[in-house]
Amino acid sequence: MSTTLAQEPAAPKSGSDATDIIVETRNLGKIYRDFWGRKKVHALKSLDLEVRRGEIFGLLGPNGSGKSTTIKLMLGLLFPTAGRVFVFGKEASDVSKNERIGYLPEESYLYKFLNAEETLDFYGRLFDMSAEVRRERTEQLIQMVGLQRARRRQLKEYSKGMTRRIGLAQALINEPEFLVLDEPTTGLDPIGTREMKDLILRLRDQGKTILLCSHQLADVQDVCDRVAILHQGELKELDRVDSLLKVQDVTEIHATGLTEDAKREIQQIIEKSGGNLKRMDNPTTTMEELFLDIVRESDQRPGRRGGKS
Amino acid sequence: MRLSPEQFWTYSEWLFRENGLRDGLFLALVLAILGFVIGYIVAVVKHGPGEGFLQVARIIGQLFTVDIPKMSFRRIFAIAKLAIKESIRKKILVVIGIFIVAMMFAGWYLDENAEYPARLYISFVLTVTNYMVILLGLFISCFSIPADIKSRTIYTIVTKPVRPLELFLGRVFGFTAIGTLVLATMGLLSYVFVVRGLDHTHEVVSNAADGMSGETSLVNRHRHTFTLNESGRGSTNETKGHRHLVEKIGDKVVIKEPIDDLTARVPVYAKKLSFVGRDGENNEGYNVGYMSEYQKYVEGDSLSRAIWRFDGVTPASFDKVISYDVTISAFRTYKGDIITPVGGFIYFRSVAGDDGSFDKLDESKRVVSERETFKVKEFQVDRRTIPLKLKGFKNGQPVELDFFQDIAPNGSFEVVIGCQDRGQYLGMSAADVYLRPNDLLFGWNFFKGYVSIWIQMFIVICFGVMFSTFLSGPVAVIATVSAIVLGFFGFFVDQIQSTTSKGGGPIEALIRIPTQTGSMVELDLGNPTLEQAIQQIDYQLLRGVVQLKNAVPNFDQLGTADFVAYGVNLFGGLLGRHLTIAFGYFLLTALVSYFFLKTREMAA
Repeated sequence: MSTTLAQEPAAPKSGSDATDIIVETRNLGKIYRDFWGRKKVHALKSLDLEVRRGEIFGLLGPNGSGKSTTIKLMLGLLFPTAGRVFVFGKEASDVSKNERIGYLPEESYLYKFLNAEETLDFYGRLFDMSAEVRRERTEQLIQMVGLQRARRRQLKEYSKGMTRRIGLAQALINEPEFLVLDEPTTGLDPIGTREMKDLILRLRDQGKTILLCSHQLADVQDVCDRVAILHQGELKELDRVDSLLKVQDVTEIHATGLTEDAKREIQQIIEKSGGNLKRMDNPTTTMEELFLDIVRESDQRPGRRGGKS
Repeated sequence: MRLSPEQFWTYSEWLFRENGLRDGLFLALVLAILGFVIGYIVAVVKHGPGEGFLQVARIIGQLFTVDIPKMSFRRIFAIAKLAIKESIRKKILVVIGIFIVAMMFAGWYLDENAEYPARLYISFVLTVTNYMVILLGLFISCFSIPADIKSRTIYTIVTKPVRPLELFLGRVFGFTAIGTLVLATMGLLSYVFVVRGLDHTHEVVSNAADGMSGETSLVNRHRHTFTLNESGRGSTNETKGHRHLVEKIGDKVVIKEPIDDLTARVPVYAKKLSFVGRDGENNEGYNVGYMSEYQKYVEGDSLSRAIWRFDGVTPASFDKVISYDVTISAFRTYKGDIITPVGGFIYFRSVAGDDGSFDKLDESKRVVSERETFKVKEFQVDRRTIPLKLKGFKNGQPVELDFFQDIAPNGSFEVVIGCQDRGQYLGMSAADVYLRPNDLLFGWNFFKGYVSIWIQMFIVICFGVMFSTFLSGPVAVIATVSAIVLGFFGFFVDQIQSTTSKGGGPIEALIRIPTQTGSMVELDLGNPTLEQAIQQIDYQLLRGVVQLKNAVPNFDQLGTADFVAYGVNLFGGLLGRHLTIAFGYFLLTALVSYFFLKTREMAA
């Protein structure tokens, strides 16, 4: 795990407290109907949740669970059939709330005939930013997402990862207080995924509130402070990630340098005190850690990697 | 080409005297009420009566409190610029290439034997440009928003602080800009095509012994004859709608480039046309049955006359002669000598004061020119002139007259036309006699013709973008085309309204059908108050229908290619009217788009 992941969530910005609510849904429901008004799908059923200032909030659930519907309702792309949703205390249909929101859609729905600079300039204009500010922000964001070399290439020539990055850059053009990221890591390679996750944490540390919607469980686990788990349009669980994942009746011990004797002794102590040893062996690393190690090593020493087979 | 009376109203006459403004406001009111009712019904179906009303009220309220005041030109410009880039990316400019190819081959197919090649060339380029630009406007405007919705790029737009009107305006302005670019290029190419296509000279092939007259060579399937005056200058006769100036330089006679084919005549129309009957009393002219919508007739060999009154004719706008054109038609009650056209006569006379006629003048001040007889040239323009010195009568005595001193001292005079042949009739309308002061530049008129096309393109783009806010691309195309086609049939609604006396309006007709009351019989329900009420309601309903008909653009009226092709100056008033109408459609489509964009779920 990177060092940032070990940190506690950043303290909320001064002047605001944890109850400072960015998004609030009340009894929110959405039914999709066909042309004749007949009910097709009940996509969301009386959802109540709050996203608080300064946190990374994860919306988790399998395909078709209502995650995207929830996001679209918050952004005013869909209108609720029941209940209400407030963003910054305003109705979701209020256009002016968008001034403080950044949105990265599920796939980067951008104009493929524009290049990176033109894209950022265009979205900057939509925020009524002056030419000077647009230039400055464009420069910063291109640096930040690492697209310096591709800044003049049309987006249609971009790889999926690059498209994701420019998508993120356009979501940040207005320095939003609230960021909505729909599947931010899809299509990214492990390095890209890690960078994206680090970036999300950095943004949180800058005081931004982030709503993240994903079915990549590892991503959610790594970065989210709180998660809501949706299934078939219903809220199944809503709590802090650490408390949700904590398995209360299992104790985990990590140690190095133990001899076989010492291990046996520990086993005996557990049995003596009435515990039940379920497993004791050498841990495996994750594929992600392995991959990142290899790439890091290869960056330092180019050439064929030897030895470990 | 025959001008209809409403084509030469001035802008203010149209707006106020002919109630253009009143009708426009009335139409706006009808549409606003209709829009509100439909919007409310939809909202009630979705949200119930109370909440539905609140929804509609909220949307209307936000239009004036937030959505218009908070509009940003920077955002509109951004969206317009994007629309331009999108169009260029879609290789819209290839249309210009297609146009050039069409021009290249056009030369092969345009009829070289045409009587008026200039008319043919101009009509051709204007028609081709018109169709191409309208189709272009149609396709770029109808597919843009649906494409954004389909590719979901709209998600990244509407989640920014973009207001519905900005989406519409940006698109309309962007597409209009790219359309204007295409149109301007086509206009320039067309101008070059017309001017170069018509340019030619002739050689002299036979010369009279004195060298003062002769015949030219055959070029472009025509030849001219020419005569020169003592100073060695002259002109050819008019063939195929043009002449050439001819000059003798040394011993050589040089035929210069064509003139008179590319012109912009500025017709000065009569202030009013009045008729005198066969008994010498004023009447409205005779009706000879369904011959012409506009023309009324005078009877031959009687006191029946048509009298046009002209004002503001000053020497400044005429050189040496007063040119005027006559386009009257004949109606024969017997065949007679069919070879010889029906004969007429024409004379000019003075008038009293500002609005007074000849009859109101003192006998001693009455000035009349001598009668000039003519044979009616049907279906063509009879180009005639009034010499400044002419013979006539003052106070009944024959004298030599000076036109501007004696007949029109304050710029006003009357033109009187009668028919010579007993039992035959001559038909005329107000626009059938007009004076021709010095011509304007053809290029300027050509430009105005293109402004007319631009107006049509703009209206198509407005409608296309509007329909695309709630329909898919192909359906939006069909809807826009339907609106254009409906405009061509607008006259049909007028016919229903003008024949309301027969059979009545919708409610009366509903009563007549089951009671089997024929349309020629007065409606009799035994209750005059009820009958009157029904007719009143019918009248208002029909008025509403006529207004709704006016809500559909009438492209037939908006087309002005004939003005340019026939070399008539396209009046500023007419163009101003069309621009005003286009602006009305712009507002209408903007509002409709606003409501649809505001209530549409972009992600649905």
